[in-house]
Amino acid sequence: MILKPLYRFASPQNFYHLSVLLTPWFAWATVLLMLIGLYGGLVFAPADYQQGDSFRIIYIHVPSAWMSLFIYVLMAVFGGIGLIWHVKIADVLAKSCAPLGLSFTFLALATGSIWGKPMWGTWWVWDARLTSELILLFLYLGYMALQSAFDDRRVAARAGAILALVGMVNIPIIHYSVEWWSTLHQGPTVSKFDAPSIHINMLIPLLIMALAFKTYFASVLLLRARTEILEYECNSNWVRELLNESD
Amino acid sequence: MNILNKNQQGNPDLDQAAPFFEVRMLECIRQDVILFQDVHFELQAGELLQIDGVNGSGKSSLLRILAGLMQANSGNVCWQGQKISKCRYEYQRQISYIGHLNGVKNTLTALENLQAMGALAGSKSDITLSDALIQLELTGMDDIPLNRMSAGQKRRIALARLLVTKSKVWLLDEPFTSLDASGKSVIERLIVEHCDRGGITIFATHQPMEIEGCAIRHIHLGKK
Amino acid sequence: MHTHWHAFTVIFSRDIILVSRCRAELVNPLVFFVVVIALFPFAFGSDAELLKRITAGMIWITALLASTLSLEGIFRSDYEDGSTEQMVLSGYPLTLLVAAKVSAHWCLTGLPLIIIAMLTGFILSLPTQALQALFLTLLLGTPVLSLIGAIAVALTVGLRSGGMLLSLLILPLYMPILIFSMLAVENASAGLPIDAELYFLAGMLVLSITLGPIATAASLRIRLS
Repeated sequence: MILKPLYRFASPQNFYHLSVLLTPWFAWATVLLMLIGLYGGLVFAPADYQQGDSFRIIYIHVPSAWMSLFIYVLMAVFGGIGLIWHVKIADVLAKSCAPLGLSFTFLALATGSIWGKPMWGTWWVWDARLTSELILLFLYLGYMALQSAFDDRRVAARAGAILALVGMVNIPIIHYSVEWWSTLHQGPTVSKFDAPSIHINMLIPLLIMALAFKTYFASVLLLRARTEILEYECNSNWVRELLNESD
Repeated sequence: MNILNKNQQGNPDLDQAAPFFEVRMLECIRQDVILFQDVHFELQAGELLQIDGVNGSGKSSLLRILAGLMQANSGNVCWQGQKISKCRYEYQRQISYIGHLNGVKNTLTALENLQAMGALAGSKSDITLSDALIQLELTGMDDIPLNRMSAGQKRRIALARLLVTKSKVWLLDEPFTSLDASGKSVIERLIVEHCDRGGITIFATHQPMEIEGCAIRHIHLGKK
Repeated sequence: MHTHWHAFTVIFSRDIILVSRCRAELVNPLVFFVVVIALFPFAFGSDAELLKRITAGMIWITALLASTLSLEGIFRSDYEDGSTEQMVLSGYPLTLLVAAKVSAHWCLTGLPLIIIAMLTGFILSLPTQALQALFLTLLLGTPVLSLIGAIAVALTVGLRSGGMLLSLLILPLYMPILIFSMLAVENASAGLPIDAELYFLAGMLVLSITLGPIATAASLRIRLS
């Protein structure tokens, strides 16, 4: 019952049109949420009593880190779906996720480094969370390198799916690393089950920024996947008609 | 009781019934190029099929799909009425596939290679390994490692798989590469005997072929 | 039709025979290990105190690199001469045959590496607790390296970019093993218990034994298609 509409959207042609339809909505939502979130984070939220104003980089750093983990899981799930059920769209989505995940991981590491210098006095420290986030960066790089090493698109997608699934072991390690080891990096700020250890006025902009990053991710993903699908299906009639129309 | 016996007991028809091959609406796309579409044929016991076409027309890909090494983009291959994707292990135990690559280890001797082939085979034939080498005109080369043999001799060892194992279906990709005239006639004789015994042979070659004692059916890939 | 165990032993013994015909494959990783260990004093200026502190790490990293280099060839010759295709078509589960190959590789490379590593640690005067921890972590860790590494090797076998791509894929996956092993050695040197780290490594070993060959077999099938 649920699967029927999913089957329809899994057709490359339908996905293409869906993407054209949805991307502007996500894009505008991103702009709106970013503006609200940044205003909230930079102006509205009170200065931290320990760190002053330099804590505000949290509004980029934490959502980036969340996104880096989230996108990897998504990439592995899409890859798994493509591998098991041979759904072309899943392969395309997985491949399109990778550069975005890489960017967010890099952003998280860079902003973390910038934050760490005034706080801890050092650009980098080899503690659990930073190291495992670095491993995540390499996993993304490896995934992209592997996909580009194959000539055949479909073989590349399936090989990448296996790599992404194997790398999933790293995700729980990153997520729980701050709990398992008492390290320099601070403990988890937002947890599913406990009350957050952060002031509510600081929390709301954080959540809004997280949402903004998600809508950004959705809009860029749809855009990338759209292009990728055109290349995948370059032989089919609907693509030819589409390109003829635009001439 | 091992798992393999259980599977065999579950599907008695797959082993005892006469071989029957059916291929429907097969399509293969490699690197965004459609190699072939709408390929279909049926084969009964004792039949011989030649896949011909120019270089790059997808002959090897078709054979690999028939062997179960590759998956077609659409269509299905049925063995004894069942899709081979459903009965993969039982099916693969009854076929012998010899591709472009020989599938033999160059640092092992001829005999060791034949032993390895037999050890992992679905069912071994009754011929002794030395007799197999004699049939292939490689008498006395039992203990010679393959890296000291010529290309034609290595190809004969690769084709020895057909003698050492007892399979119902032979899938041969350009079997006569590197073989001289006498090697070619040895293989042709083996193919004829195999078809007489009720086996199926499917081979791919771009050369026109004539085999005595066997009617060859043809399927042509690519543009005519 | 033979049992699964028979198929396992056929592939296992075949790989052992293949390496025995080409002794270099056996010896090269060990020579590599010794040569790289010898490089460290040159890089660190033979400061005895400093070297003492990094000995265990030196040994583990070099063992890791030696294992990776030798692992690279595990599927290559089979892929190039068509034996992989025949293994896939043998009618036996590919997972089983892959497990046999990886076991053979570990017995031929991992075990000798452990012995040489322990000898090196002994010669370089590692304290006893550190030596013990080193031994246990190597014993648990090197099979994991072989099993996980085999997945990446299977994905990249026969590709142009070969070794570099393989290292890029493998080394991030190896990092947790290295981290926990060095934690164990550090704690052991300080006299603290190392149960937690050993349990983690054992857990990784069990995980890689059960899932590694499956992923490797899937990778090989993908490469063959």
